[in-house]
Amino acid sequence: METRKGQEGLDTIPKLLRQRAIEYGPHQIAMRKKDYGIWNEYTWQDVYGHVKDIAYGLLSLGFEKGDKITIIGDNDPEWFWAEWAAQSIGGAAVGVYIDCIPSEVIFYVEHSDSTFVFARDQEQVDKILQIYEQLPKLKKVIYWDPRGLWFYDQAQIMDIQRLEELGRAYAKEHPELFENLLRQGRTEDIAVFCYTSGTTGRPKGAMLTHRNLLYAVEALRQYNPFLPMENYLSYISPAWLTEQILGLCGGALVPLITHFPEKPETVQVDIRDIAPHIIFYGARLWESLASTIQVKITDSTPLKVFFYNVALKVSYKRLEAKEKGERIGFPLRLLYFFFDFTVFRPLRDRIGFTKNKVGYTAGAAISPDMMRLFHAIGINIKNLYGTTEASLISLHKDNEIRYETIGVPFDGCEIKISEGGEILIKNDGVFVGYYKNPEETAKVFKDGYYHTGDAGLLDKGHLVYLDRMDEMIELSDGKRFSPQYAEIRLRFSPYIKDVMVFGGEDKPFVSAILNIDYDNVGKWAEKRKMTYTTYTDLSQKEEIRELLRGVVEHVNSVLPEHARIKAFVSLHKEFDPDEAELTRTRKLKRKPIEERYKEILAGMYGKRETIKVESQVAYRDGRVGLVRTEVIVNYLN
Amino acid sequence: MPEEIHLKIEGLSLAFGNLLALQNVHLELKKGEILGIIGPNGAGKTCLLNCINGFYKPQQGRILYKNKDVLKIPAHTISQLGISRTFQNVELYTGLSSLDNLLAARHHLIQYGLLSALFHFGRSNREEIEHRRYIEDIIKLLEMEAIRDHIVGSLPYGLRKRVELGRALVQEPEILLLDEPMAGMNVEEKEDMARFILDINELKGTSVMLIEHDMGVVMDITHRIAVLDFGNKIAEGPPKAIRENPAVINAYLGKA
Repeated sequence: METRKGQEGLDTIPKLLRQRAIEYGPHQIAMRKKDYGIWNEYTWQDVYGHVKDIAYGLLSLGFEKGDKITIIGDNDPEWFWAEWAAQSIGGAAVGVYIDCIPSEVIFYVEHSDSTFVFARDQEQVDKILQIYEQLPKLKKVIYWDPRGLWFYDQAQIMDIQRLEELGRAYAKEHPELFENLLRQGRTEDIAVFCYTSGTTGRPKGAMLTHRNLLYAVEALRQYNPFLPMENYLSYISPAWLTEQILGLCGGALVPLITHFPEKPETVQVDIRDIAPHIIFYGARLWESLASTIQVKITDSTPLKVFFYNVALKVSYKRLEAKEKGERIGFPLRLLYFFFDFTVFRPLRDRIGFTKNKVGYTAGAAISPDMMRLFHAIGINIKNLYGTTEASLISLHKDNEIRYETIGVPFDGCEIKISEGGEILIKNDGVFVGYYKNPEETAKVFKDGYYHTGDAGLLDKGHLVYLDRMDEMIELSDGKRFSPQYAEIRLRFSPYIKDVMVFGGEDKPFVSAILNIDYDNVGKWAEKRKMTYTTYTDLSQKEEIRELLRGVVEHVNSVLPEHARIKAFVSLHKEFDPDEAELTRTRKLKRKPIEERYKEILAGMYGKRETIKVESQVAYRDGRVGLVRTEVIVNYLN
Repeated sequence: MPEEIHLKIEGLSLAFGNLLALQNVHLELKKGEILGIIGPNGAGKTCLLNCINGFYKPQQGRILYKNKDVLKIPAHTISQLGISRTFQNVELYTGLSSLDNLLAARHHLIQYGLLSALFHFGRSNREEIEHRRYIEDIIKLLEMEAIRDHIVGSLPYGLRKRVELGRALVQEPEILLLDEPMAGMNVEEKEDMARFILDINELKGTSVMLIEHDMGVVMDITHRIAVLDFGNKIAEGPPKAIRENPAVINAYLGKA
């Protein structure tokens, strides 16, 4: 790979860290974490010190080269330190989402052969302690938020501060060891395991090297030259590869100042303090941000609503001219300048986007309408396409943003579309293989290319994503369609939170199961003085079904005739990751959902008016209950 | 569990006219324990707390705390001695933010004088930082970060209760009197509140006197329980014994 000037030999993340500590030492901030209501700062010297202490601590407890650590927690400096510490001494890190249930956690720890677990707090520690006996390889569980753990006396757990103390003592005996190990690191060493969220089957542990991660950051910089010390908000979980690339690798390579919110629920306030230059949100988060904006605007005074609507009109007009490559006339430019100053700037300030240069979206496709909306209010949102196995593949270029595409492939990323329409990749970001799973690895590597399993096409240099290969559906009349295409457009409505579209050989027409957005639909109902009790009740109200019908009809008007939705049901409950209906990144799990709601599907295709449903729900404490109710089918012409 | 007595109630009787609210109640709160007070409505539970923190003046009896009879000292000084409480009906400054509510509760701990406050430097500045740090500890303990700057009047009930608990805590109490801290909460909110009470008790060693109607919670988190009925203490003991006590079942718990 190409190395930047002055960075020769800095081919692993720990080597970069060491370089930053030498370069900047105590003079430059590396991280800020909000705590006690104020932003606490860590310089590069502090960060490197913590990494070193933790690494020595691990060594003193018997960590060996090639060992893995599992980290489960929120985005905290400690996550970064622990991961960097393990990487410094020849280990790799496995990230786990904080809301994983114990059985999922045990799978990750066991499958990855982790010898240490870093768990954020009591809740996470308890998950591990429950299953500790089943994990013979596990040596210690280390936590960094001692709350509630003050009086735990199990020998298996340890406070991270204690670990650092052990580390400092061990360092006195072995002063050279850490740097020696760090220097021995090679760019082709495994740095992280990213378990694929697994829309199908058991999760697979994709192994990525330092080279893979560094490649991905360099690729991003081709289109967005991040400047050193720009503000970055670490918000998406590092269990996801994208945060590994941007936060953990980019933070050390560029370097960026990484900001950690006080708590996940305080992000909306914290982001205003930071005003990050670079933001990465999952598609769902952008969607919820868009619907929040829409709802808040509707909630405000008539004058503000009027101003906003006019401003939006002007901005859309300007965008349209830009897209067509036309010259933007002076009056339009003046009007836009005026509205940007009076409407959009304050709006951007509200959501913490005053300094933002670029906002990335990935994970699931986002509707073109929504991208237009964000660009209209002055947010440079871009589609970023990548997979866990092939890191980053393509991105929108500035001034070359086509909403319906997933951008232009990066230089150095070779792309081929197979005869079957699958996207094939060859680049430095392609992973080494799945851990302990050569069969699956062999399945995705053929002829030197990584097979993404995504259907797509190249259009004038832009990559267009259609759907997962195995989710392109052939309808009973032989025509193919992509359910996801319709789903994204439906989800753009603030009233729809989730939706799954069905069709296929055995189905005479296309149908859908919708989840209403409880907050927004609830507000809508309140405004009309409608009474309702629960989600279930609200979802079946006649007015709400009419509201949804309007949304579906609107989307139908842009779909080809054969792909239009002819029947839909507003589901009595939300899809839930705890019930295996969604993955942790909130992607739909199609097969489980189809299986689970087969009676509803049968009802829709059997032209029934109402369907009795009975579904199992899992409560937070692990108990299971039954919900019995009735859903009404809505048919469209 | 140390057996040191933290607060001792001796022969307490309280009457409103002819109505006897408390009759010759003897009760001891041990250091570091969570003592549950249960009983049917009108049994005198809240009256007992009101006596301890000086709202009511009982006709007979003594309440001994730190070798003093708290009945003989003015109500506003009791909190300074280390006894704080929350109320059944939330009593906060609804127009202030959560943070300001907590800050206001530390007014009696302020040492600096008017002059220093006027210029806000030196001692007053240093002290304000100390107060804020203490409050932030409590905010963290009670997971109130997200509502720190919210106006209390705009908060839902469950969170207001949490702010109120926070306000009691920032007074650095040795004894905490909680009057139905979980009333009107859903299961999840109750779980949170129960965890907070346990954390406070464990971490700070605060002795807690807890009035609560949710028997599940009381049985789970208290060390001992006292049962009141028509102003009389009819039983006292560990949760298990109370659950099986025939007098208590008859008066309050009922048969399953």
